[in-house]
Amino acid sequence: MKNDIAIMADPDTVTGFMLGGIKSGFPVHNNEESKTTLKQLVDDGYSIIITTEKIGDALREDITKYSGSSALPMIIEVPDKSGSHKRESDPMNELIKRVIGVEMVK
Amino acid sequence: MADEKLDGVNPTRNELLNLKDRAKLSTKGHSLLKEKRDALIKEFFDILDRVQGSRDDVEKKLAIAYSELNKAQVDMGDMAVKRAALSVRDSIELDISSRSIMGVSVPVVNSHATHNDLISRGYGFAGTSANLDVAAKEFEESIKIIIELGEIEKTITMLAKEVEATKRRVNALEHVIIPRVNNTIKFIEMRLEEMERESFTQNKVIKNNLEG
Repeated sequence: MKNDIAIMADPDTVTGFMLGGIKSGFPVHNNEESKTTLKQLVDDGYSIIITTEKIGDALREDITKYSGSSALPMIIEVPDKSGSHKRESDPMNELIKRVIGVEMVK
Repeated sequence: MADEKLDGVNPTRNELLNLKDRAKLSTKGHSLLKEKRDALIKEFFDILDRVQGSRDDVEKKLAIAYSELNKAQVDMGDMAVKRAALSVRDSIELDISSRSIMGVSVPVVNSHATHNDLISRGYGFAGTSANLDVAAKEFEESIKIIIELGEIEKTITMLAKEVEATKRRVNALEHVIIPRVNNTIKFIEMRLEEMERESFTQNKVIKNNLEG
């Protein structure tokens, strides 16, 4: 696993992150494209993959498959330029609720 | 549930001894797992405090970065910004190792920027605006905290998974395995006593018949 970081998002976000010094930028335009790109990135062995919350929501299953069970790759979802949208279910909050929720019943 | 027993156990003295060993082992395992669970939950809470603040920071920082990028795009045009972005040099070095919390291995990421001043970014000054420099700086800072956030979120995911698994095991032992074993032990003991009484009366009757 090489210690590398990649950004996969809409073209504008990718431009921004490349400006910040990430060389591996992968602009994607639709869900199909992001699905195949994500697979490609995981196969290539990037250890950190930054993507947007929108793409994250669309590819929830794939992301869980790739990053759910092992320490790497780390797939991080950040807000895109329209800001953080209110999600129906934040995966992180959901997880925390599940773990603590059972705890309270105990 | 209350008087469920293990299947396929014969009421013999040998089985009774085996089961008693098993009960002892299960109780011991149960208390160990309980300790593990409590330790994991403590770790989980410790790291939970960090995640919320971290996510808010990322959101704020990125909002600023995007608006600066927007300004630069207005100033210079979309293509010029893209061109500048393409010529920015790779600036992030990652050092990923892992540490273990109660047997759960979680990643530890050390990231540092190899350069972060104006000149070493790599794009030319001709045709780029000051806003672009600000945007680049904001993004550099954002990336740093995004990586930290990623590390924390990953740790939480891994810990949560382990907490759930441990919890399930503790509950299975506490509510299913241990009661069943205990019930079976009680059943065998009662059965053996019954057999003893039976043979005792039999002997009495035989003795009576022989004497009478």
